This record gives sequence, C-alpha cells and structure tokens, in this order.
Amino acid sequence: MQLPDYFLADIPDPTALSPAVLTDACLALKSNRRRFLANRTTADLIDVVARLAEDWMDSDNPFRREALEFGPAATGFSPETIAAGLDAFFESLTGENLRQLVLQDLGHPHRLERLTAGENEPGRERLGFARGPELLVHIAGGVLPNPPLVSLVLGLLTRSAQLVKCASGTSFLPRLFAHSLYEIEPKLGACLEIAEWKGGTSALESVLFAQADCISAMGEDATLTAIRERLPPGTRFLGYGSRVSFGYVAQEALSKYAAPRLAAAAAEDVAAWNQMGCLSPHVFYVENGGTVTPERFAEMLASGLAAREQFQPRGPLPAPAAAAISSRRAFYEVRAAHSNETQLWSSFGSTDWTVVFESDPRFQFSCLNRFVYVKPVANINEALQGADAIRGKVSTVGLAASGTNEQALAQCLAQWGVTRICPLGRMQRPPLAWRHDGRPSLGDLVTWTDWELPSRW
Amino acid sequence: MIKRNIQLSDFEQRASPGDAAFEVFEGELRRFIQDSVPFGTGLERDDSDEQEARFQRLALALFRLQHRAVGPLFRLCQRRGIAPEDIGDWRAIPALTTTAFKDYAVTSLHLEARTRVFHSSGTTGHRPSRHFHSAGSLAVYEASLLPFFRARLMGGVGQGKGEFTFLALTPDPAEAPHSSLAHMFATVIEAWGADDSAFVGAVECDGGWRVDTAASTALLRRCARNGRPVCVLGTAFGFVHLLDAMHQDCLQCALPPGSRALETGGYKGLSRSVLKPDLHRLIGTTLGIAPTHIVSEYGMSELSSQAYDACVPASPLARGAVDPPARGATNSGAAPGIETGAPQWGEEDRRLSAGHSAGEPAPAGARVFHFPPWARSVVVSPENGIEVRDGETGLLRVFDLANVRSVLAIQTEDLAVRRGTGFDLVGRAQMAEPRGCSLRAVAVAT
Repeated sequence: MQLPDYFLADIPDPTALSPAVLTDACLALKSNRRRFLANRTTADLIDVVARLAEDWMDSDNPFRREALEFGPAATGFSPETIAAGLDAFFESLTGENLRQLVLQDLGHPHRLERLTAGENEPGRERLGFARGPELLVHIAGGVLPNPPLVSLVLGLLTRSAQLVKCASGTSFLPRLFAHSLYEIEPKLGACLEIAEWKGGTSALESVLFAQADCISAMGEDATLTAIRERLPPGTRFLGYGSRVSFGYVAQEALSKYAAPRLAAAAAEDVAAWNQMGCLSPHVFYVENGGTVTPERFAEMLASGLAAREQFQPRGPLPAPAAAAISSRRAFYEVRAAHSNETQLWSSFGSTDWTVVFESDPRFQFSCLNRFVYVKPVANINEALQGADAIRGKVSTVGLAASGTNEQALAQCLAQWGVTRICPLGRMQRPPLAWRHDGRPSLGDLVTWTDWELPSRW
Repeated sequence: MIKRNIQLSDFEQRASPGDAAFEVFEGELRRFIQDSVPFGTGLERDDSDEQEARFQRLALALFRLQHRAVGPLFRLCQRRGIAPEDIGDWRAIPALTTTAFKDYAVTSLHLEARTRVFHSSGTTGHRPSRHFHSAGSLAVYEASLLPFFRARLMGGVGQGKGEFTFLALTPDPAEAPHSSLAHMFATVIEAWGADDSAFVGAVECDGGWRVDTAASTALLRRCARNGRPVCVLGTAFGFVHLLDAMHQDCLQCALPPGSRALETGGYKGLSRSVLKPDLHRLIGTTLGIAPTHIVSEYGMSELSSQAYDACVPASPLARGAVDPPARGATNSGAAPGIETGAPQWGEEDRRLSAGHSAGEPAPAGARVFHFPPWARSVVVSPENGIEVRDGETGLLRVFDLANVRSVLAIQTEDLAVRRGTGFDLVGRAQMAEPRGCSLRAVAVAT
C-alpha cells in the first residue's frame, strides 16, 4: 500500500521539516478547520468516527493490513499483539460510547454546538456552550498507539485542528489512522497533521507552542515540566505523566475453579502491548488464605503467559531490553536457589515471559516486556503499605474480589488514590469514557461559555 | 532485606575441599600464567589446541572444586539439576551473576580467612557486591594482574622496580580499602613505581571520589620538566575531573614521550560524561599523550583478571607524539604482531547506535578488549545464553581462572559486541530501560 505524502511525517527527509514549514502547516490547519470542521455537528462527527472504527475492525481493511504487516518492524510488537491492541481500542469506539462520553463530560449531546441546558443539571436558569481549542497539539510520549488515537478522536469531537507530534520512529500507527480518516473524509483529514521529530528540538517546538491554544502531552514528569515551562501564558496545558499499575486478587476469588480463569485474565493484562503502557501491571498482589495459594496463582499465571505466547507472541526484543530481562532473571534465579520465598517461572530458551514470586510485599518495578511479579499479602493494607513508594502515581488496579469485600476493597483503593479500578483482563482496555489519570479527557479540552438567563425567562 | 528461610541443604552436608586443594590449583595456574606470557609480543591469545586443552582442564578442575566449596554456586547448580561431572566444556560451566555477590558470600574462604573484601562501586543506597579475598587469593590476583599489565601498558619502558612514575587519580588503598581498582593501582606501583609515584584521589564524605587536581598538575609538571615519562591511571570520571580543572586554568601539559594513560570504568553520575573517543582526544590535547599510548581497561570487583583494549607499543617510533596521526595512516609505531592497532582519531565510538549494531564488522582500527590467556570472555545472547556470532551484541560472560576462591564463571550485566575472541563494550544492561510511559524502573535490589 503506497500512502501519499500527505502528512509531514510521510516525508522521508526529516530535514525538510523547518520552522517555516511547520508554521505554514499550522496556519493551513486552522484555515481548514474554519472551512471544513468548525460547523460540523457532534452527531455527524460521531458517525464518522464510528464508521472509521468499524472499518478498522474489518480484517480486509488495507490500513489494518498495513498495520499488521509493517507494524512489527515499526513498533516492535508482534502482529498478534498489534491486532489484539487495535481490536481492544476500536471495539470501544462506537457511536453509543462516543455519545455517552459527550454526555458524561459535557452534560448534553449538543453542548459543542450551541448553548444548551443540561437536562440533569441543577437549575435551568443557565445555559452552557463548550468550545474546543482552535489548534490542539498532542505531544505523544510512548510507543503505544492508542493514546494518540484517543486524543485525535477527542479533538475531532471538539472541532479542533490538530497536530500530533510523535517521538522519532513512533508515528507509524498514528499516520495510518490519519490516512484512514483522510480516505473516508478528506476534509476532516485536512484538519489533522502528524509530524515526527526528536523531543526537545526547540526551533520546531517554539512554533508549535506559539500556534497552539492547547497542548496535551504524555511522557515522563521531567519532559512535561520542560514543556510547561516553555509555554506562553494562556496556552492551556494538559500533562499526563508517568503512571504504573498493579493487580490485586482477594482470597475469596481464589477458588479452585475461578483461579485459572483469573490467572488467564492476568496474563492477558501482562501481554497487552507487551506491558509497555501505564495501565499494564508490574505486580499482582495476591491474598493468602484462599483455596489457591499465591504461589499456585503465580504458577497459573506462568501457564497463562506460556499459553498466550502460542497465539499472541511477544516478538523479538532489541538486545538491551532482552539483557535487562536476562539479568533480572539471573538475579532471582540465585535467590530462588536459596529460599522458597523467591520463585521463578520463565520461558525456556527465550525471554518471552517471566513470573517472579517474591514474598517481600514492596512494590517492584518490572523491566516490562512480559516480566511480572506476584507478591503474597495478608490483606489490602499490607499491599498498600508495600506500594507506598508509588502512591499518587498509580493509574489502574485490576481487582478480583467478590461480594461486599469487592466494594470495600474498591473504596479503600479509591481513597488511597488509585484513579481507575477494573476487573482483571481489562487493565489495558479502558472504556472510551474513562477519566484519564482521574481527569475528564473531553471535559478538560473545552472552554465554557455560561449564559445566565434573565429572570423573565 | 528479605527474610529468608535458612534451610540446611545437601551443601552443608558435603565435605568441602580444603584450602590445600585450592593451593594445588593455584600452583598449576601460576605455571599456566608463566607459560602463557610471551613477553614483548603483546600477549596475543594463543588458540592452539594445547593452550585450549590446558585452559579446559584447569577450568573444569576449578569448577569442580568451587562447586563443592561455594554455596551459591552449589545451590544454583542444584536448582538447574547440574552435577559437575555433567560439564565437559568450560563454556558450559554455569556462570553466576554479579548480582549474586550482593546477596550472598560467593566464596570458598572461611570467615576468618577473609582478610580483604572488594566492593563494587555504585550509587549511594545500593548494596554493593562483595568479593572476599585472603592473602593467598590476593597473591593470585596480583599474579594475574602484573604480567598482563606489563605486556599491555609497559612497552618500551624500564620494568625494574622503581623505574617508572605513576600518577593514580584514585584514592590509595588505605583510604579506599574496598576498592579493587585502588588495590590494582597500588600493586602496579609497588611493582614498578618510582618514589615520586602518587595517589591523588580522596574519598568524599558521600563516598564519591575526588581528584586533587593541584597535586596532579604539580606532579605532571615536574615530570614534564625532568623529561620523565609518566603513566596516568584513573577512572574515566577521574580523568574528566582532572582535564576539566586543567582546562579551566588554561593548563596544558606536554608530557615527555613514552608517557601513557590507562582509563577505566564509567562515570556513575560523578562528573559530566564524555564519550570515550572524546575523552581520549582530551587526554591527548591536554596531557600530550599519544593515542597509541592510551589504553582502556575493563575490570570489576568480582573478577581477578583485567581486559585491555590496546597495547602500548614498545617501538621507539611511537614516542608519545602529541599530534594525532592522519586518518588512514598506518600505525607505524606498533610493534609487529600486535593485534590491536591505534584507533583512528574520532573514529572509535563504542555506542551501540554508532554502527556497532549486531552483525556488523568492527570498523578498521577499532579497539577490542581482550583478557589474558587465563581468562576468557564469551558474549552470550540474552535470549538463550548461547554465544553470539561475531559482530553481534549480547551479555558479557567471563571465565577467569584467577577467581580461585570465588567462582570462575561470572555473568556480567554488561552489553558487549563480540569481536573474535575479544569484545567491544556497549553499555550496561540495567541501564537499559524499556521505552514506554511507565515510571523509570529502579534497580532490583535494595
């Protein structure tokens, strides 16, 4: 499939991208927005996005086929891992979910079109209109394609011209997505730009920061701080910093029959995007006292990862990433040889997957790429004490529990500061309407106009 | 620290070989070292069948002793279901990871015999590796160090006692008793150092090392004035400290011909990092030491032998010229038969991204690390532990016969490119952090 040189990231020569070229691109985006996007209705835009998502679920879609054929070389993920990730994402991108998102974050389906009163909002003496940024810039941080795609969809809903700035070598899937939108709606495609350069290239970034009225950025805290410091006053900044996630399995969930299913779900969470996302688990805390012990759960998780490797392989790694896994395995192998408080299960003859059982409840950062810890705990308090070092930095907890305890555990996690709790197996599948790092993603993009009605109304 | 169930395993119930068995081995090793040292030719590795067979026999014999005497090795073998008699080739000897030296006493020495311990350097708050030594094991360490150091560094100079001036940019062993590097430098100075040789490093209160730059420049000036060549020994960050300070004071020094430098190790956040070719260039321009006379060392506290990436030529033609040789010039100063020629200025770059990726041949003139004949390096695939092909990247594993009282097979966390029987360093595995938006990984051990 020959993609036309439509976006900046399509141009093979990176030196062609100068500040002047980027300025022109931003001005063209704003102009196209005025002509083609500003007056579209929400329902119409939702329809476009839902159609697009449906197309991506079709195995004959040339863009999807391109993603699966060339994605492994471009992203390092196996075709199966990419397929699973794309499916999880596009499945959620339905008309119904998009409408729910607008309603949840803005209170009325027409809020982005005209002054309206929310039906469920208190008092009808005030109308509201939500306006998106004119030029919304996304600074994509990681290797996962979903976050920039979600950002693009949100920006479409707010009728914003958008530019996605990808880190070097990471624009492959955002580009394909943009081309696929361009194919079904060229006018909307004309309001998007995808560019790629090495972060910190200040000549280019200064152009962006001057042109954009809202910047959304994902990345490490230091990167976000550096960006924030360079923004003109009045430019809105939405920073999504580094987060980590873990799982928690309560003893009542560890019945003989349920445990294998839970372990398979946990394996799915570890395998999704090879554990590279903020929502991927580093550790599973498993309560003692269930029919199935934490050690046995770890063993089942290992079996789950081995089984998953058969139909969703991790794929090859560059030497440094493989060396990180190999070195950690060597460390735990010696410990496991000395005491049964450490145990190790790992793929044979490869670094494909690793499970470390360790009785120390302190949270441990994984080296990722399907390397996960299982830690036994007496109760949630012990787990949260162990995770104290990452308090405030936890995105998702995958929770397996039942009955009144499930409610109590969720409440406890919420009060501790976790921003998302979900069942095991869904950690890397946040719903479209999820509050990213605890913030309303769509709601944070808009600026409101309130109209307080005169009393005669 | 993790609580551990201490279980009496088969290990405690076995008869451990006594010190005498190790002493017999040490005698054989010393003979092997003596026979392997063809002085003056740069110690090119002799890959003859005879040499190989001798290494093989010694490695297997030592492994069998260590298997019975070193608890962590015994337990690792037990976990893997390996009996010593299963191992028929030195490459198959189970390698113990360097991180095991943090958790366990990897030694066959009894408590009372452990008179010295070398720690790995590391950032504050990390537990160091501990490599225990006795008087006997230190003697072996020195027996391994000196002949290979002489072959690699001491070409063209008098090798009698007190004949050469050394400037060590590290603290001396009295101040840094747990540093294997300080011990190494002290051993070299003890063997050949003139009376004016000096240690100019000091230990800071945070444990970091500082270089007394005033004392260093004073000594260098004195040597320059008297026309006495000097050998500067230091870590990369020690050199950067010194060179930065000299640069700040607009000092340059044309050290007498025959002066040389040995640099080792990384930076560990203690000074600005400089790429190795840049550091060598800086050493050249600031101290007037020729590129042929700058040698990089690879060593670690868990080993007893060192690898070097060059050999200072003995030929008088290479007399420490300050001007870099022209690109493409032949290394006219190198003695015939020396395997590693001088690097071309600016062309040596050890970064993975700089063209040393898997499968590529070494650039012409690139320098390659080699251990002495009694220690061998193997670069293994991190995926499956099998030796990689020439030019490919993997983890460095070292088989060091001089590690008599710990374990001879050491699995490092260093990434290296295999270059024939040698290697080229590209980084440390634990520094490798996967891309992604997760928080930076912290070290495993605390």
